[in-house]
This record gives sequence, C-alpha cells and structure tokens, in this order.
Amino acid sequence: MAGSGNAHLRPRDEVLLRVEDLVVEFPAGRAGRTVSAVAGVSFDLRRGETLGIVGESGCGKSSAARALVQLPPPRSGSVLLDGQELTALRGEALRRTRRRLQMIFQDPISSLNPRRRVRDIVGEGPRVWQLPGDRVDEVLEAVGLDPGTAAERRPHEFSGGQCQRISIARALILEPEVVICDEPVSALDVSVQAQILNLLEDLKARYRLTLVFIAHDLAVVKNVSDRVMVMYLGKVCELAPGGDLISRPAHPYTRALIASIPSSARPAETLITGEPPSPVDPPSGCRFRTRCPRATDRCSLEEPQIRQIGEDHWLACHNPAPNH
Amino acid sequence: MIVVHRLVRLLIVLLAVTFLSYALLNLLPGDPVTQILGLSATEEARAQVRQELGLDQPLLVRYLDWLGGIATGDFGTSYITRMPVAAELAERLPVTLELLVAAQVIALGLAIPIGVAAARRAGRALDQALTALSFALLSTPVFVLGVLLILVFAVTWQVVPATGWTPISLDLGWNLTSVILPAVTLGCGQLAVYARLLRTDLIATLQEDYITLARARGLSPRRILWRHALRPSAITLITAVGLNLGALIGGAVIIETLFGLPGVGRLIVDSIFSRDYLSVQGGVVLISVGYVAVNVAVDLVYAAVDPRIRRA
Amino acid sequence: MRRGRLSARLGLGFWLATGWILLVLLAALLADVLPLARYDETLAGPPRSGPSPAHPFGTDGLGRDVLSRVVHGARVSLGVGLGAVLLGLAIGAPLGLLAGYRRKAADAVIMALNDVAQAFPALVFALAVVAFAGANLRNVIIVLGVLGVPSWVRLVRGSTLTYAGREFVLAARVLGARDRRILWREVVPNVAVPASSYAFIGMAVVIVAEGSLAFLGLSVQAPTPTWGGLINEGRTIMEDAPNVVLAPSVVMFLTVLSFNLVGDRLRALTDVREIGLEPVRQAVAAVPAPTAPHPVRDCLLQAEDVRTHFVTPRGLVKAVDGVSFTLERGRTLAVVGESGSGKSMLIRSILGLLPGTAVRGGTVYLSGDDLTARSPAEMRSVLGPRLGTVFQDPMTALNPVRTIGAQVTEPLRVHLRMGRRQAREEAVRLLASVGIPDPARTLRRYPHQLSGGMRQRVTIAMALSCGPDVLFADEPTTALDVTIQDQVLRLLHRLREERDMAVVLVSHDLSVVARWADEVIVMYAGRVVERGPAAEVFGRPRMPYTEALLQAAPRLTDPAHHRLRVISGRPPDLADLPAGCAFRARCAYAGDRCATEPPPLTEVEGRAYACWHPLPSTETSLEGTHVDGR
Repeated sequence: MAGSGNAHLRPRDEVLLRVEDLVVEFPAGRAGRTVSAVAGVSFDLRRGETLGIVGESGCGKSSAARALVQLPPPRSGSVLLDGQELTALRGEALRRTRRRLQMIFQDPISSLNPRRRVRDIVGEGPRVWQLPGDRVDEVLEAVGLDPGTAAERRPHEFSGGQCQRISIARALILEPEVVICDEPVSALDVSVQAQILNLLEDLKARYRLTLVFIAHDLAVVKNVSDRVMVMYLGKVCELAPGGDLISRPAHPYTRALIASIPSSARPAETLITGEPPSPVDPPSGCRFRTRCPRATDRCSLEEPQIRQIGEDHWLACHNPAPNH
Repeated sequence: MIVVHRLVRLLIVLLAVTFLSYALLNLLPGDPVTQILGLSATEEARAQVRQELGLDQPLLVRYLDWLGGIATGDFGTSYITRMPVAAELAERLPVTLELLVAAQVIALGLAIPIGVAAARRAGRALDQALTALSFALLSTPVFVLGVLLILVFAVTWQVVPATGWTPISLDLGWNLTSVILPAVTLGCGQLAVYARLLRTDLIATLQEDYITLARARGLSPRRILWRHALRPSAITLITAVGLNLGALIGGAVIIETLFGLPGVGRLIVDSIFSRDYLSVQGGVVLISVGYVAVNVAVDLVYAAVDPRIRRA
Repeated sequence: MRRGRLSARLGLGFWLATGWILLVLLAALLADVLPLARYDETLAGPPRSGPSPAHPFGTDGLGRDVLSRVVHGARVSLGVGLGAVLLGLAIGAPLGLLAGYRRKAADAVIMALNDVAQAFPALVFALAVVAFAGANLRNVIIVLGVLGVPSWVRLVRGSTLTYAGREFVLAARVLGARDRRILWREVVPNVAVPASSYAFIGMAVVIVAEGSLAFLGLSVQAPTPTWGGLINEGRTIMEDAPNVVLAPSVVMFLTVLSFNLVGDRLRALTDVREIGLEPVRQAVAAVPAPTAPHPVRDCLLQAEDVRTHFVTPRGLVKAVDGVSFTLERGRTLAVVGESGSGKSMLIRSILGLLPGTAVRGGTVYLSGDDLTARSPAEMRSVLGPRLGTVFQDPMTALNPVRTIGAQVTEPLRVHLRMGRRQAREEAVRLLASVGIPDPARTLRRYPHQLSGGMRQRVTIAMALSCGPDVLFADEPTTALDVTIQDQVLRLLHRLREERDMAVVLVSHDLSVVARWADEVIVMYAGRVVERGPAAEVFGRPRMPYTEALLQAAPRLTDPAHHRLRVISGRPPDLADLPAGCAFRARCAYAGDRCATEPPPLTEVEGRAYACWHPLPSTETSLEGTHVDGR
C-alpha cells in the first residue's frame, strides 16, 4: 500500500476541507529517532459529506485527526478549510478558526472535566467566544439529554453513552462546519453504540455537519460514511464509497480486514499473518508488503501511487486482487 | 552516552549546590572576623585578619579558590579551631555513616515485612493496626521519640547509655550499645514512610491482571507476594530511600546532638553556633555529594529492578 | 456526593483530628484571654511539681506553668506552619503549574532547579541561615517556606501533568479557549484536591521542622516558649519531672498526627478501593439458598445457581444472580453480554478469584467434584492443571519485571514439579505451539519487548502449560487489532481441537461468539436471559434482548446510513434491580406481568429463555418487531 499521491483529490472549489500530503512525526526515545505516524496522507470532504477513516492501531488515523485541528500541527502538508490554510496559522489567528472545526474523542470519561457541571462543560464554548449561552438547553435536548435533570450534574453521574452525548453537545453548540469524531463509539457497548451512531446521523442532517469519522471497526465506519478511506501504517491504501469498498475490495489489506471480521464469509486465503512493523522503522516501498500475500520485489522498491480503478474508487497497490 | 549525560547533570547539580550554599552563607549577616577578634578589635586588626583569610577577595574568586581546594581534598582550615576541615570531617564521618546505615537497615528490615503483611490483608485488623502504628511513628518528631526512648531505656530501665559514643575500633559490643538507641530513633520515622509506601504500591500491584492470573494458575499467596508482586511494587520505595536521605541527614543532626554523638551533624551544629563558615561549608558539600551519589546508586538499582527502565 | 456519605468515607479519625486541630488553633488564638498563668511567670507554683488542679500539666524547673507555655508554644508552631505552607504554596504552585502545563523548556529548567534544591541538606541549611540571619519568626517562616518549595513544585507539576494530558484539556483547546482559561477552569480545580491534602501534610512537616530548629535553640528565642524549646528544656530534668518534657511532646505528637491524618484522609477520597490477596471463602449464608439440590450430571463442567454478590455502601450488588450451565469436553461455551452483565464476574466466581468484598453462592462441579467446597489451598491444585485462564488485556496480563521464561516455566515447575531444564524445554515447545517465532529467544525477553498479539499468545501458552481440561478466555481478543484478533481466535479453536479441551469464551462481540461457539448463554443484569446452541440463538432469538443486541450492531452487508435498531435507555442499577424482568424498561414487548414477576428461565427443546413474551420460534432475527429508540 503505502499509497502516496493526490490523484483522488477533487477540485478545490468543490470541497470544504482539503488535506494534502499530511505528515505527522513524533520523537521516539532519546536517540533522535522519529515515529512516522502519518506519512503523506491526502483526502478531502465536500460540505455535508462523511468521510470514514478505518485502520488498526498505529495506522495514524488519530494522529491525522489531531493534526487537522493543529494539536499539534503536522510536520508538513496542508490543511485547507474553506480555502484557508490552517497549518500556516499560529496563536490568535489559529484560535479564531477553532469554532469551525470541532472534535469528539474516544474516551467519554477522560474527555469531560470531572469537577465541572454539565451546564458549564457544554456552555464553555459560548463563553470562550462570548456568545449568548442560552443554547445549552437546546443542544442538550438535541443530543437526547433532559436539560432539567442533566445540566446541574457532574460527569461521574452519567454512563459512558451519556458522557459521549455531553461531548457531542459541547462540540455542537459552537455550530462548527466540520466535526472530527475520533473513535467516538469504541468505548461503548453495542446497544449504546447504536444510539450514538443514530444520533450522529440525526445531528448531521439537522445541523448540516461535515464529518470525519474515525474507527477501527469497518462495519461501524461503513454505516455512517459516504466514503471510506483505509489506512495502514501512516499511508492510504484504498478509498471508495463504503458499499463499493466492501463488495469489491481491491487492496490486499482491505480484503484482509474484511476477512478478519468473524461474521464475514470471506475465503481464508485473504487472511494475513504477522503483525504490523514498527512505525519507527517502516518498510521501504509499500509499507504493507511485509504482511502482504501478494507482495513482489517491486513492492519493496517502489511506493505505489494512488490511482483510480473505478468510479470514485481509488487504490494504492501494485498487485491488486485479481477479481476486481 | 546516557551515562555521560547523567554524570554531566550530576556535576552541574553539585556545582550549583556548592556555589549557592557558599554564596548564601557568605552573604548572610554575621562576620567571621568579629567571631575571631571580638567586637572590640581595631579596624586595622580586622583588615589584617580579613586579608590573611582572603576575605578581601571578591566572592566568586573565593568560591573558585575554595572549590579548587576541595577538588584536591583540601577543605580549608577552620578560622576558629585552626584545624584542617578535611581532617575533622574525616574523623567524624564514620560515626554518621554508621548511624545512617544502621537506621536504614532497621527501617527497611522492618518496613518490608510490615508493608507486605499489611497489604496482604488490606483493610483487615492486622492492616489497620500496622497502619495506625506507622501513622503514629510518622507523626512523632525525631527529637520527641529520642527523648521518650531515653526516658524509657536509659533513665528508667537503664539498659543502654543515654549519651556518648564508643568507636567500633575500640569495642564492638559497646559500639553497638551506643548506636542502637540513636539508630532506632532515626530509623522509626523512615520505617513508617517506607512501610506506608510499600503497602500502597503493593495493594495497587495486587489489583493488576497479572496477579489475578497468577492466582488463576494456582500459585500460592506467599509465592505471588514475594516473587510476583514485591519487585514491581518496590520502585517508589527505592526512590524514597534516595530522596529521603535528606530528611535522614536532617534527623541525624538532631540525633547526634541529642545523644551526644561526635558525628558530622554535631560538627555542623557546633560550627554554626561558632560561625565557623568553612566547617559548615565542608559539611554541606560532604552531605550533598553523599546525597547525589546515593541517588545515582538508586537509579542503578532501578534498572536492576525494572527491565522497562533499562533501555531508556 | 452527599454530605452524609462524605463524612462516613472520611471516618471518625478525620473528625477527631479536625477537632484537635481546631482546639489547638483556638487555644493559640485565645492564649492571652484564657484563664492561664502567664507563660513567663516564675514560681507560679512550686518548681517541678506534677499535675495539679492549678497547673494541669505541672510546672517546670523555674516553677512556670507548663500548660500556659504549651499553649503559647502553639502560637509559634501553628504560625510558622501556616506561614511556611502558604509561602511554599505561593512560590511552588505557580512553578509546578508552569512546568506541568508548558512542558518542554520551562519544565526542564524548573525541574533542574528542583534537583539542585533537593540536593541541599534542608535542615542543615535552615539551621545555618537562621543562625546567621537571626533567630526570629520571620526568618524561620521564610527559611522553612522556601525549603518546602521543591516538594510543592513536584506535587503540583505531577498532578498538572496528569490532568493536562487528559482529553478534556484537548477538548478545551479545540473549543478555542486560551491557555490562561484552560489552566484556571480545567486544570487548577483538579490540582486543588491533591494540593489541599498536601497542605495539611505540609503543616505537619513544617511543625516538626520548626520543632527541630527550636530544639536546637534556633527558632523564636526566649522568653517566647516553643514546643521544641520546651522539650529541650524538659529533657534536662526528665528524671524527676517527666511531665515537663511529656506535656509538650504529647501535644506536639497529637497535633502532627492530626494534620497528617486529615491530609491522608483527604487524599484517600480520590483513591481507589483497596482489596487484599486472600481468596474469598464460601459464604452461603448471606446468599439466598437455592430451593432444590441439584443433580450432579455426568459432564466436564457444571455450574449450578452461581451467585456473586457484593456488599457495598449503596446496597447489595447482585453481579451474578443464579447462573447455571453445563459444558462438555471439546465444546466451546460462549458467555455474551454488555458491560455490567456479570459475564466476567461469573468466570472469576467459578475460579474463586473474587475480591474480598464478594459473597459467593451456588455450586460448581468439575467432573462431578464440587469446586466450591474446596479450601483455597485445595483449589490451587486445580487452577492451572485443570482450569486455564486467559484475560482481556495482554498488556497487563504479564508481569512486567519478569522474563517470559520465568513466567511460562513457573506453573510447570510448581504444578508438574519439573526441573529447570525440563521446564525450559517444555516452555519452548509451548511457545512454538502457539505460533511464537524463535521461542528460545522469546523466553529471555521481557513482556514490554513483545507486541500485543505476541503477549496474548504467551498468556495462552501459560494457560495451557499444565494441560487444563477447561480454558476460560475472558474477552481474549478485545484489546487486539482485528487482523490479530482473528489469528488468536483461530489459534484458540485449533488448540481446543488438538487438546480436546472445553472452552468458556466470554465476549461482548456477538460476531466472535457466533463464529466460534457451540453453545451460548446471553447474560443481562447478572442473569441468564437466553441459552442454547449458538446457531439457533443467533438465528432465531426468543428473548427480545438477544434480538435487540443482534440488531444494534452494524453489519457489513447493510447499506451505508442504514438506521440501526437501538435499545433505548441503559442497563439497570445492579444495587437496585426493578421487580419483575430487569429488561422490562427497555423492552418493546413488555406487558403488565413483566413489571411484577421475574420471568424464569424456561427450557424448550434444548434451548432456554427468560421471558414472558418470547418471540415466535419461526421468526428470523432480521424481521423482528420494532425495538425502537427514543
């Protein structure tokens, strides 16, 4: 995989958010080595669209999400929100853009301050921006909480699912254009997960949201997304509308992901063995080649570029599955 | 690479400590010249003494001069006693070392079984009793404990002498009787600190999955405690042994005064009262070097105890 | 948090200590107006007299009233304590906040300074400074306050680091809050809790330090009495007037103890619960006894009416409430349910690995042998050799400070009495059998050097080392990535076949269960709500909860933006279960009877369900009646 390239990006005037060649690196240990968390990822979103990003731990999906909100800013690359370059902004100018881009986190407990009341948590955004705070009740209702009983309580009095609703309310009250959801349902039980997924769909329609939805569960991502992007070790593998991706996966890694889901009836030969290599020392060429059943010499020498293989179906692989 | 990094850092800490203490003690009110000549001395006599002692030099020059001496083992000559400071320190160091080592041995020797016993039955009667005991010890100032122990063992029962010191070279038995009460007094406070730390960490470790799984493999509680739980729980304890050295030395100063032991602490106290700057300085340097050295040793012990630290 | 509960959690000691502190504080404040002799009045009574009505603590060598001197000494102790603690806080807290929040250069500089400060022998330094600068209240406060700064910096920095790393701080940044606001609104309120606890402990430390200075004659000077000074004076005459030294000693001890205790209790408020290591004993009496004795069936593992209750301040929590099942060799039983359903507790209950607060009931037979009647020591001979266990998180399942080899060989040596070399050879074979490359080298490594998938393979190897008959796998793949998860599940299945074991697989993931289990029990609020062959339970669920659970999980085959059927509400409070069916409040089919009578587990044609309004047995799961959300 190791996909690089921007062939899949749409014209700038059609998209609300455009990310080009995003690179995120962290220092690893003291020896001056770096973890290559995101290595040249590009994607874009139309207004009102939901992009799902799926991949296993260490694939860089969460690092990419944080780089979008510039916390911390990426090592290199461009993040254009409605034509404005975010990576060039610092300090107050960057802060001014925050209202437009909000985020929901994985851990519903850790993402709420245990010492503040729900009314203050949700009302923090309007206070920061000196907006009237009278919308707290409205958004609490919108996320399915009763303002009368919920607003004066503290987070520990709520279940995980309810905490996630509070997080969503906190993000929504600023009427952002883009909401980045970083594994928002991973910590929740199945029944609660369904509630939150449905809620996100409702809110998206009601507030005309554009969503980046990140998860490790392919079925969950597919459920809420218009397009799904598969990542592996900091690179893009494949990008396609969810249905297309599941019915005609081309990348060996996508196929392995699908086959690994216990309920899927995929042939065993698509399964992969071994474990992901270290992002401190990623393989040359295609980063997936060490686990790929279809890898050839070319894969270690040459990094595959993203190319189109069907209508809005994009792939970064030298040796895609034959039945595509 | 990392060893070099550490050593450089240590050196910087030592330089900073010596300079700050030198500067601070010299800048404080009080004048050794007055101490030597008395208040009635003439200005000429004072100036002459000042020149003899090098006190007319700028602070930094005096500091560097003094530091250079220390590097070659020369701690200077006391203004007051006219004795080389190094010799005095060398004479008294063994007393303080024996006291500190004995106190640590008593503290750790008791703290580990107490901490383990309390953690094993956390929340039950034995734990509550041990916790209360260590809490009481923790809250007893060392001089209060010392006075009480003297009252009981030396005054009432008269099993050990209240004060005085017999060097180990003179008579081992008498040496031990003269060190036991001071060492117990000094060790008790540490014992409480160590036992509480170990208990808390052990309780946390005992809730780990790997302990539950060790139980699920049918291993005995004794084996789990000593082989599985103790080592991962010892980190904070080891840190405390290093960091608490400061408190222990502070305690030693009091103990040596209280029990009349001729150690470094007593020397420093006496020197403070007689405004003997160089002896105080020398003592401070000695203690700081000791503190830093012990903490380096603690870092090494860490690596032996926890393999996760070895790479860093 | 209710006030009553708070005071109960703090305990009697806390309130006694607070009372004593207030008493000392009040006495110190009112020392001049209290009906006491003047502290410096000599011959207020006969010298060295013992306690008497006129002089409750007796008199000292000069005939001064000891009580009065102790009370006046409290002024110095508490005054220095308050002053020094506030000074240390005022300097240390901002530095600690800065270091913990800003990190990087600020942190490096502040912590380097802190290192230097800690290498100073504090008490020696305090002595020197006070001696040279003058022994008065102001200097003592300044010196002790400044010497306390490093501890404050460390404490505040530590908790700032903890909270600044939490996602709610990130969330505040994303909202656009400025640093100053984040610090004040998000970080400081959280740091305030440990800081207030430390303020009390700091008081104790400073009071002792001031006492030490005074003991050496280097605190506030005579004629003002200080506790340390009183003790020093008293010790010269302790042979004939021990009350002179004992009175200030006891008062000082109680005061220091009280400050320590209050600080400790405040900190404990934020701490976790404490449990011991001893396995729980059977305590049947506290659990409602089962009605009829159970027939002991001829099977490998039989659980009858297993109950696990916890006595908590909120009431009796019924984590597992009457679960029965049987399991044959070579089969996999899956236990499914959401968090809080009691599925993990059921496993721990069977294995006797419950925390000390648990009360266990029911019976577990292993090949007809009653495990619950065994003593902890007898149980240990079964754990390992006959029952193997794998837990959810491979990151925490291995001891971080022991080599893989030491851990894998341990059960072999303990249970099978193998020698060192033999155990090592067997361990190599075991690691190879679970698919670990280069097993001999892996034995010498530590857990942190292995990936999550490899660690889980190691824990499986350890569970299998003594050839158990039953393997309990509690969410064995939940913490793993999906491709690794699949590898591990296949491995477990293969091992079951090879070794002819039975497997109890606990999972919240229905798709895992559906693929790998033969039998399944579905748990809800501590009870079994449905039981039967996996294919049938998932193909035609009878209990509405099973159906709802199946429909709540998104499926790969569903179209995008497919609306999920949701289960409204949330699971009931286990300490306050509703009468009747526990699922009633969330069930679309619930009727009047569900509210009053708990449905029994009804057995029909090899399956069982607990429901008054079961779904028809012909219906398929996809066409269920609406179980809609809000």
